[in-house]
Amino acid sequence: MEALIKPEFGLMFWTILCFVLLTVVLARTAWGPLMKAVDDRERAIKNDRRAAETAKAEAEKARAELEAKLAELKAEMARRLEEARAQASREKDSVIEEARRSAAQIVESSRREIEAQKLEAARDLRNKVAELSVLAAERILLKQLDRRANTDLASRYLSELEKEKPELSLGSN
Amino acid sequence: MDHVWSWIALGPLHLPISRYLLMMGIAAFILLVVFPLVLRSRSAALAPYRSMIEMVVLFIRDEIVLPNLGPKGSGYMPYFTTLFFFILVMNLIGLVPYGSTATGNWSVTGGLALTSFVIINFAGMREQGVLGYFGHIVPRGVPGWLYAPLFVIELLSLVTKTVALCVRLFANMVAGHIVILSFISFIFIFGTLGTGVGLAVSPVSVGLVLFSLLLEVFVAFLQAYVFVFLTAIFTGAAMHPH
Repeated sequence: MEALIKPEFGLMFWTILCFVLLTVVLARTAWGPLMKAVDDRERAIKNDRRAAETAKAEAEKARAELEAKLAELKAEMARRLEEARAQASREKDSVIEEARRSAAQIVESSRREIEAQKLEAARDLRNKVAELSVLAAERILLKQLDRRANTDLASRYLSELEKEKPELSLGSN
Repeated sequence: MDHVWSWIALGPLHLPISRYLLMMGIAAFILLVVFPLVLRSRSAALAPYRSMIEMVVLFIRDEIVLPNLGPKGSGYMPYFTTLFFFILVMNLIGLVPYGSTATGNWSVTGGLALTSFVIINFAGMREQGVLGYFGHIVPRGVPGWLYAPLFVIELLSLVTKTVALCVRLFANMVAGHIVILSFISFIFIFGTLGTGVGLAVSPVSVGLVLFSLLLEVFVAFLQAYVFVFLTAIFTGAAMHPH
């Protein structure tokens, strides 16, 4: 028990010597390189993080730009579509109007034509009727003209003529 | 207990060549050869060991040294890391069969505590100047008549802190060994009552010894940490007297 607590200054000297030498040597051979590696790594991590952050910000910006452009394009597309639709509807209206007008024109001209032809046909019919009636009358007259009537007629003509030209009178009267 | 094999005389010094010196030498060899090799190698097989050491070093830096010493603490990092690993390796070598615990001798722990004492005071004087350091050794706001006795007490406390460091490590390491020895002795004590009794007790004893050994592994790490942590606190207090 006494040996356990008896101080041994030689050993203490060895300990101090050993420890001091260890500290000096290890500072150069072990801890120096280790701390340098650790510092380098920490710096690299910091740099990487910063780079990643800037890259992220840039990506964010690019995305925002693209989105704006996309929205713009969408609006443009909608506008054009609307325009085309309006144009189409306008054209449709005008085509329908045109068709209606031309149809009306055709109807009108046809009606006029029909009217004209009707008139002509009526005129023709009247002429023909007149001719036919004249012919028919002629025939009828030819049949009805007998000797007495003709004599009467002739004598009437003759008296008329005598009145007009007394110099030619045959004496009676 | 140290086994001295021979003595050498170096001037006025009378130096022992002993078992603890051998253990210390082995520990120093491990630190001097294995650590630089592991830390500097680029081999993937050693990478886990490298990161283990690195983790401990970063823990010492971020949890012990920098919080206590402030930004100037990184200059003292080699001292604290070497101190931690030297104590740890010596503690662990003591648990290996045929090894013995150099830190279970208070000349060794005293030597380490002496270096702590030097570092604490050196850091304080470097930070505040020699006069400033001794001027701030007594807390501010102390009545004038108390100043002189407090100065003496504070000077003594510098020494007691160091002695406490020394005794704490030494006692912790020795205590574990004594407990293990006691448990093993149980077998032989009960063996005197009869061989059967001794054999019956031995499984219990071995189980207890195993438990104590595991506890000692834990204590080996814990005491290395405590020694370094307290040294850092004292150094920080010497550097920033508030």
